[in-house]
Amino acid sequence: MGNCLKTPTTDDISLLRGNDSQESDPNLGPPPPYQERVPVYHPSPNVSRPANQLTEEEQIKIAKRLGLISHLPTGVYDGSVKKGKECVICMCDFVLGDSLRFLPCMHTYHKKCIDDWLMRAFICPSCMEPVDAALLTTYESS
Amino acid sequence: MASMEKRLQKELQALTKDPPKGVRVSPDGTCRTLSEWIVDLDGAPGTLYEGEHFQLQFKFSSRYPFDSPQVTFIGTNIPLHPHVYSNGHICLSILTEDWSPALSVQSVCLSIISMLSSCTEKKRPPDNSFYVKTCSKNPKKTRWWYHDDSV
Ligand SMILES: [Zn+2]
Ligand SMILES: [Zn+2]
Repeated sequence: MGNCLKTPTTDDISLLRGNDSQESDPNLGPPPPYQERVPVYHPSPNVSRPANQLTEEEQIKIAKRLGLISHLPTGVYDGSVKKGKECVICMCDFVLGDSLRFLPCMHTYHKKCIDDWLMRAFICPSCMEPVDAALLTTYESS
Repeated sequence: MASMEKRLQKELQALTKDPPKGVRVSPDGTCRTLSEWIVDLDGAPGTLYEGEHFQLQFKFSSRYPFDSPQVTFIGTNIPLHPHVYSNGHICLSILTEDWSPALSVQSVCLSIISMLSSCTEKKRPPDNSFYVKTCSKNPKKTRWWYHDDSV
């Protein structure tokens, strides 16, 4: 009870909390580009980052993640209340015409808000449901 | 950067206008920059901290809410609690690895109040003196081991 043991660390492991645990070893290769102080890699479609600053492993991981994200359904907000009306990431109400992304758990966000988060952690911010697990089940059952 | 400021502005408005019980954005926190807040917390009635007042400091990076805020107790009264170090650092998983952008200043404050409220014995963490001597200034640099979330 109450054992707050700790080991020092400099990396934000939450960014690597994905499916590939061996890639989250901070001792492998150069530091990942999302450490504190280093500008965060932020591969939304309109942001590019010099590829030479990424290791091959990181490029593969990012490409894989982008591929997975692109399988998640998107849509445009049409005023339907069923889709919820607020994006909890930016805390803004959806406005007609906003690009949305729907996660398998049925939580809905602005596309640009959730894509940014999904590059860091592949879980739904609202229910903490792992997105990839849900994706796989969807594939298997269909 | 702009989206971080917009969201913090919304949170600040909501928390100032309609704060949950025992939580107040401190007027002397002088939110000159949105990236640093001071929040006053009251110990909940009927708990070991009833009648006590605490101050929490929140620091937000430009990547908020994707990055968790840096949250520490500051001031003269640091709660005596098995997950709170005497330098104000807090061992709470939502502040690091269990952070989600769906959380907010308000939900962090409520979690901390509930962490205090469920305490049954006022004491420092067992490794307090070692930790306080060796830790980084930034509690987010500590790789915490969350042994028991129920405390
Ligand atoms: Zn949004
Ligand atoms: Zn969800």
